[in-house]
Amino acid sequence: MNGADATAINTVEEKRSLKDIIAFILSELKPRGKMLTPFNVISGLTIVLGAFLILYRLAKGLGAVTNLSQDFPWGIWIGFDVMVGVAFAGGAYVLTFVAYVLRTDKYHSIIRATVLNGLLAYVFYAGAIFLDLGRWWNITNPLFGNKFGANSVLFLIAWHFLLYMLAEFVEFSPTIAEWLGLRKVRKFLGSLTIGAVVVGIALSTLHQAGLGALFMMAKGKIHPLWYTEFIPVLFFVSSIFAGLSMVIFEGSISHKVFSDKIDHKDHAAYNGILIGLSRGCAVAMFVYFFAQTLIFIHGWHWSLLNTPMGYWYLTEMIGLVAIPCFLFFRGARYGNIPLIRIAAILTMIGIIINRLNISIIAFKWWIPLSERYIPSWMEIVITLAIIFTEIWVFRWIVTRMPVFEGSPAWAEEKH
Amino acid sequence: MGIDRRTFLKGLGVGVAGIAPACLLSPGSGHAKALPANETTEFMGVLVDTTRCIGCRSCEMACADSHGLEVPDIGDTSVLEKIRPTSEKQWTLVNRFQTEKGEVFVKKQCMHCNQPGCVSACLVKAMEKRKNGAVTWDGNCMGCRFCMVSCPFDIPKFEYDSAVPKIQKCSLCWERLQKGEKPACVEACPNEALTFGTRRSLIEEANKRIYGESGKYVPHIYGEHEVGGTGYLYLSAVPFEQIGFRTDLGTTPYPEFSKGFLYSVPIVLLLWPAFLLGVNTLTSRKDDVRTKQGGAK
Amino acid sequence: MEGFTYVDIFATKGVEYLLVIAALLLFIPFWRMVSRPATAVYEAAESIIPAISEWFHLPERLYYHQGHSWALPEQGDLVRVGIDDFAQKLVGKIDAIQLPPVGSQVTQGEKGWSLRAGSKTIDMLSPVDGKVVGINEGLLKSPENIGKDPYDKSWLLEVQAPKISANLKNLLSGGLARKWMEGVRESLLARMNYNLGAVSQDGGVPVDGIARNVDHEHWDEIVKEFLLTS
Repeated sequence: MNGADATAINTVEEKRSLKDIIAFILSELKPRGKMLTPFNVISGLTIVLGAFLILYRLAKGLGAVTNLSQDFPWGIWIGFDVMVGVAFAGGAYVLTFVAYVLRTDKYHSIIRATVLNGLLAYVFYAGAIFLDLGRWWNITNPLFGNKFGANSVLFLIAWHFLLYMLAEFVEFSPTIAEWLGLRKVRKFLGSLTIGAVVVGIALSTLHQAGLGALFMMAKGKIHPLWYTEFIPVLFFVSSIFAGLSMVIFEGSISHKVFSDKIDHKDHAAYNGILIGLSRGCAVAMFVYFFAQTLIFIHGWHWSLLNTPMGYWYLTEMIGLVAIPCFLFFRGARYGNIPLIRIAAILTMIGIIINRLNISIIAFKWWIPLSERYIPSWMEIVITLAIIFTEIWVFRWIVTRMPVFEGSPAWAEEKH
Repeated sequence: MGIDRRTFLKGLGVGVAGIAPACLLSPGSGHAKALPANETTEFMGVLVDTTRCIGCRSCEMACADSHGLEVPDIGDTSVLEKIRPTSEKQWTLVNRFQTEKGEVFVKKQCMHCNQPGCVSACLVKAMEKRKNGAVTWDGNCMGCRFCMVSCPFDIPKFEYDSAVPKIQKCSLCWERLQKGEKPACVEACPNEALTFGTRRSLIEEANKRIYGESGKYVPHIYGEHEVGGTGYLYLSAVPFEQIGFRTDLGTTPYPEFSKGFLYSVPIVLLLWPAFLLGVNTLTSRKDDVRTKQGGAK
Repeated sequence: MEGFTYVDIFATKGVEYLLVIAALLLFIPFWRMVSRPATAVYEAAESIIPAISEWFHLPERLYYHQGHSWALPEQGDLVRVGIDDFAQKLVGKIDAIQLPPVGSQVTQGEKGWSLRAGSKTIDMLSPVDGKVVGINEGLLKSPENIGKDPYDKSWLLEVQAPKISANLKNLLSGGLARKWMEGVRESLLARMNYNLGAVSQDGGVPVDGIARNVDHEHWDEIVKEFLLTS
């Protein structure tokens, strides 16, 4: 069951020299398919504009491009690109747990795409962090040197991001080896998978929670309905259903766009996969909702509910957590695929709102709107450019490497 | 697919590599370590008596002059009509408050906390609590602005308009302290509103004033216990909320809020891989003798 | 300090424990309900499932190969061979059958004959080893009849099988065959994936075969999967 245009590489037995491999990769760089689709044009223009804005930002400083201020040091590059992006990438550690640790065959057909998305998400959101750093030339200081602020949550996050990218890369590397036709390498890399998965899950637990722990010292700046010492736990639990929702969302798109790469068995099994993911989301959101309720009761801030921020809090908790949880629940029980997709989108909006609330909206909530941080169009364009570039890279990889189609026969894995 | 020795060792190796950075964590990093007796240095601080401040703003000038910042025109008193925060151009300034006891002038700057949130936040040790109590910033900073998020007093200011931005805040004139001099603002104050000394002696002095001149001061030294204690201490004749101080900060040092998470890191890095590999081994099908069911597979 | 409300922030109030207990109690039915399909769906599936197992008749005296062909030993070492009810209902209307010529050899577990439906050709595995000594000419002329009685009148081959006892050891019969068929039924249901439109509400089998209603384009792949000839 080889990929649609498997080149001779997959069946060639002889040893491939480095020159052959480089030549092959260079030949693969040529674009395929229609160039001037609406998506290509819009995303392409955004990427080009974004590139110019990035150069401008590097040359002139953050103030020239962003609306960050002394009151609001973190904006959408942190609050959205990093916080939301990393939450959405949580599908990788959840599904690798299910597929490799628990040895469930059910999700086998989507695991590679999910790991690839996780890897790309972290690489690109590390890029977003790089852009957000005021003194970006010092970015290696937490990694090399003799002045490690090891008591900083951000220090741990930096290291975890780096190690996690490596783990994801190791998990994805068998696909690359198959693409390049390197059999011995492929075999070796396959043996590393379970180790990388296990380390990846431990790292993910910590940095998902860690992104929340960043705000522990912002006590007094974050509205009491959102500030709790349990933010790290909440971030971790929400990353589970955020990731799975993203898998549902992105998978639905990929299944349409790349449907010629997916064999019919995987197409047929897809509904079953969606129902399984829906179950996972429903359970995780049930737990999360009750955890939030418990935290609310612990804080006992009843009087705050009857304020504008209180209504906003209820909107997030009821409208964007409890309701999608129920929709996932019903979708799983009745096999209602459209309902599951709606639930996934609502959940993703809820995660975006939640992360933005903690980092920007409920942050110094007393400051009037006229003095608050609202992202500049340049920040938004750069964010979009990063996302589009990630999609382009994803597309490039998926159309050439065996991500959706099965492994070539010589690499069939025994589970 | 069961686990073989090779895979296990690989997993363990990667796991240990993952734990390595956590080993750099020093346990109990929220608390200042005790120095050996011959090296003991006391934290220095400044006592600000707001009943003595006349709002001349000589401290603002002296600070700017001493550190190469833009010297403010202290003759222009119109700026006092609004409450100003410190900025990337001004490490310290005086604000004027209208209170029940008339005008009160309050000097604002970095509080030089005993256990600073910014120092705990800084992942490259650019923010450092010096042995003499000064909290200083250094150029190996990455510009991540996590210190700004973590400061309960919102003191660190960032040079957004520069391509080579710095974090700007009061350094307790650390270079002058090295030479045995007093901070520039303290030297410049004509009315002894600012007193420089060890934190211990300042608290003694503050208590003397409170109990010596009964009724004059609110019986509270701001900064004695707030957020675990700060280097800058304040006395006031009016309640502190009326002169721009937050009184809801609590007495817990800010680094303590991250402790729970930080302590869980080595534990998770240790337990998760072992647990997960254990589950993976337990679900191995290598020993199965079940025959496959007929039909499609 | 004025304006300071005393809340013992470290105390876990009793009501929090009550909430935890309530949450755990609620979680039990939640978990059970989310793990299975809704009763309505389940009952619909269940009502059809017995029908499915009734559709797939498994006469007791036959021996079945896992590729859904059967063997019926007759006198001596003669064996009658055919396709089972499941295979027929999966494929639906058969346009033509290609049988091996009389005198040729068939091998247990290897391709025995093929069926043609529409533009697709499906191979099937022979349940026994031996020499073909007879073929069902009537069926060759009217292959649509195979549905009417896949076991009796719609036999395909008469085979002389010298190793008949050894062959039969590899085949399923009686209780084992029933168990196997239940497994096949589960696989089919999983394949159908809640697309219960593949079978009509009254439990009838579509004429053009179940496979075509599960996956219209690639139905032959499904069939080959179940018949073990992919």
